Amino acid sequence: MNRLTAILAATTCLSGAAFADDERIIVGFATAETGFMQAYDKPAQDAAMIRIAEINDAGGLLGKQIEVVNADTKTDRAEGAKAGLSVIDQGADLVVVSCDYDFGAPAALAAESNGLISFFLCAESIKAGIQGVGPNSFSASVLGAVQGATMAEWAYNKKEARTFYRLLDTWTEYNKSICDGFDWMMPQLADAELVGQDTFLNEDASIAAQITRIKSLPEEPDAIMLCTMMPGAVSAIKQLRAAGINSMILNGSGVDGSYWLSAVPDLSNFFVPVQGSIYGDDPNPAVNEFNAKYTEVTGGAPATQYTYPGYVMIDVWAKAVERAGTTETSAVVAELEKMKGEPTLFGPRTFTSELHHQNQARYLIVETNNGTPGVVDEWTISSPIPVADLMK
Amino acid sequence: MARPSILRRTIATPLILSALLVAFALAAWFAGSRPFNQTVIDIFLQVVFVVGLYTFVGNSGVISFGHIAFACLGGYVAAWTTIKPMMKGSAMPGLPDWLMQMEIPYWAAALAGGGFAAFWALVFGAVLMRLSGIAASIATFAMLAMVNAIYSNWSSVTAATSSVVGIPILRSIWPYMIAAILAVFIAWAFSISRYGLALRAARDEPTAAAASGVNIARVRLIAFVISGAIMGAGGALYAHSIGIVTPDTFYLGLTFTTLSMLVVGGMGSLSGAVLGVLILSSLIQGLRWLEAGVQIGTSTIALPGGVQEIALGAVMILILMFRPTGIMGNSELTGRRARTEKPGEPGTT
Repeated sequence: MNRLTAILAATTCLSGAAFADDERIIVGFATAETGFMQAYDKPAQDAAMIRIAEINDAGGLLGKQIEVVNADTKTDRAEGAKAGLSVIDQGADLVVVSCDYDFGAPAALAAESNGLISFFLCAESIKAGIQGVGPNSFSASVLGAVQGATMAEWAYNKKEARTFYRLLDTWTEYNKSICDGFDWMMPQLADAELVGQDTFLNEDASIAAQITRIKSLPEEPDAIMLCTMMPGAVSAIKQLRAAGINSMILNGSGVDGSYWLSAVPDLSNFFVPVQGSIYGDDPNPAVNEFNAKYTEVTGGAPATQYTYPGYVMIDVWAKAVERAGTTETSAVVAELEKMKGEPTLFGPRTFTSELHHQNQARYLIVETNNGTPGVVDEWTISSPIPVADLMK
Repeated sequence: MARPSILRRTIATPLILSALLVAFALAAWFAGSRPFNQTVIDIFLQVVFVVGLYTFVGNSGVISFGHIAFACLGGYVAAWTTIKPMMKGSAMPGLPDWLMQMEIPYWAAALAGGGFAAFWALVFGAVLMRLSGIAASIATFAMLAMVNAIYSNWSSVTAATSSVVGIPILRSIWPYMIAAILAVFIAWAFSISRYGLALRAARDEPTAAAASGVNIARVRLIAFVISGAIMGAGGALYAHSIGIVTPDTFYLGLTFTTLSMLVVGGMGSLSGAVLGVLILSSLIQGLRWLEAGVQIGTSTIALPGGVQEIALGAVMILILMFRPTGIMGNSELTGRRARTEKPGEPGTT
């Protein structure tokens, strides 16, 4: 211990009371500070910290300042369980866990078994909530299936798309959920036709075989529903365009961001659903203000829309605590479950005793035209996706 | 008489190792911190895995990259048999009816996991144990890849790459301690048994052993099945420790962690297997505490994130530089002055 290579002043309180007491309100982040999940957790956590700072500046929650404790999951499931227990031991009233269901679940399960509320930062699987953790678990994002359904319905109504092609990257649950939502929506769109479907794997260097099948269709489809994510998405998009396929490409939110656009120069006719715009053109000026604040606090603008759910999470939780007048789990859960279309910066949010996730949400549609992304429309699917269809 | 003498000469080893494990458990119990408790549970699981690995690798001298596959088999047995039938139906609809309705306690799941893994070890081993040297190692690796590919894609039975949740979580430290101690005793009993001695003879002098009537493939197969059973039970308990299983938990990461713990501890020694885990895990934990920050007076000092992995690598290189055969080499903790087990010595009467 006498030769530390670096000395850092800790920004957070680590001394830790052993048990939660009513004098303090503590938010515990059992998230990844190292490893690949850090890229997903950090921006959302920064956004959450901004909301916490706003609340504290405005006089705190129930008249108390919100305190924060952290534990690193190291992007490891077993470490995740420990991180969860660690923030619980430090008295957390709310346990915030990793973005991804797989990596967040161990900490969320630890919170659940200690009777505490857990919130996934931005998980988009239905399992990140009641179905996969328990009755006190929530997710701050929107179900992946809603993204696929949104894109299908929007393209059908606003772009007169009638022939669709479904291209699924089977690598992750997230990808599958986008296509599941698309599949749910398709039969509801009169005379919309699925002209073909195919699968590939994110790591495939070439999707030439899949492209050949699209090219051999009698007519180019109006829209291709591309259910994939980074890093494979870039290569797939590039190959589709290089092959001369000019159909509109519909995506999930996972490809939001301009960081990769230079790899596919002059990309056009490319559509992504987002909860808020990082491009400075969000119809809600408050979102643009948030972006400015985020830039000021972290030194860089949000890179993708997955920054935003962290802000929403603290927002809805704090409102529920305020209404319940306590941080006690069952009272706060009851207040959260009363939220029907609760307005937030990034669209209305609804929680029910059946679903602690969004099965219907307002999405902004971002179109990339000549390599420049920008908001062109917004869309909310006409009816929520039933829980039974989400569980299938 | 051979048997009482070897028993008496070696019984100290598992007893000392068990005492060490009990000491760790008591430390966790007295500390009363839940994350620390979970850390010690993790250490006990690693002990089970590394001792399972040692049972085969240490005695046969064939390095296996495939043993984590058995942990995977065991982990999923725990998922199949302990999750509430209602939850199983939606996650794994392809399970046969009798399995779907089954809900057994964790210890039974661990036994079943061990049994299932042992069965597959017998099937795979019957083929693989005829190979030796690097061919056998690569073949075990192929087995790991195969099991991983099947479990990552058979969605109706394993839920493919999705996490399987709903496994009852067991946060008490004692069952894991008992499992680790049992693993140590099984490994010890095997290594002093007739088959263990024959296998070590075959490791050191295959030609002479074969000429003396040792059926090398057969004794290796016995070790493979026993170690597979230990790994399977360990995998089931691992599932109970965090409550979820996914195929990629039981893949390269865990394979190399357990192998490096065994190599650093000393491949040919049961004490090395256990000490390798205890020393490396304590080191990892210590570095993590430093990473998280330690309060000294009013200021908190902390290492930058990621130092733990680098420091661990450096320490492992240093240990292997100065002790190429690992911390323990081929010797065991006996309570007496440490001495090296000469090839063939335990077999002499």
